[in-house]
Amino acid sequence: MNEHEDDAVDALLLAQFEGPVPDEGFCDDMMQRLPARRRRPVWPLAAGLAAGAMVCFLSLQSAPLVRTGLRDWLSGQLSAPALTLLLVMASISLLTLAWTLAEADDREK
Amino acid sequence: MTDSAVQARVDQALVARVLLADDRRAFEQLLRRYQGMVRAQLRRLLNGDHARADDLAQETFLLAWRKLDQFRGDARFSTWLHRIAYTCFLQARRKQSWPSDHNDRDDGQQADTSHAMNLHLDIARAMQRLSSAEQAVLLHCVQLGMSHSETAYVLAMPLGTVKTHAAQGKAKLRALLADWQEADRKEEAS
Repeated sequence: MNEHEDDAVDALLLAQFEGPVPDEGFCDDMMQRLPARRRRPVWPLAAGLAAGAMVCFLSLQSAPLVRTGLRDWLSGQLSAPALTLLLVMASISLLTLAWTLAEADDREK
Repeated sequence: MTDSAVQARVDQALVARVLLADDRRAFEQLLRRYQGMVRAQLRRLLNGDHARADDLAQETFLLAWRKLDQFRGDARFSTWLHRIAYTCFLQARRKQSWPSDHNDRDDGQQADTSHAMNLHLDIARAMQRLSSAEQAVLLHCVQLGMSHSETAYVLAMPLGTVKTHAAQGKAKLRALLADWQEADRKEEAS
């Protein structure tokens, strides 16, 4: 394809294009028509968190490691079960933090 | 950082302000930045029907406002807006069954008036003799200044199809506008 001829056609097309349309009150009119933004409801997240916590509690309440760890932790003894429990909680917190930061980063982009 | 990269970052910051702080003024800035090109795009697609183009532009910006959280930043904000505008145009055309192709225009009438037409009208008429896909591709690629890949995104076409339509459209225009180009060359030579 002849590049010079292509450029000539481009130039003709550009010459014919009037460019951006002047505002002439379009934006003011548009802003008056904008409805209120619908906020995403928080309750599904809260309900999900509550349900997850409940399921977690029900499935772990009979586990001896959790019961022993919790008892030792509350009585101030840093036994192996108590340390395991703390490590698991710290890991979950770190994962949540990383996930939150990643989401915030995505929103900024 | 290039100018377009700076513009893209400004757009992303404005979008973030709308989403995180429900900032209507940030959206107003986005609106003011892009209303001109979106309305120009729609006026072209609707063959100069300003009223209908402005109606579709309003629909475009209302949709953008509602669906702003779906803007992921994988394309420029302006490209995303042009895609919404083009989708609105296609939906409106489907509803109203507007003609999608102008190849069946009265050539006899064109021949009668061809001597009186100036360059502007000649190009407009030549454009109308292209298929609707070729017109849309040339509008976005050349007149709105988008890259082939951005045009493919807006028109929801494969990149190869966009390139083919661009080449075919330009070849047809070259043939239709040969007289004008010849005159230009003579002017340049003299």
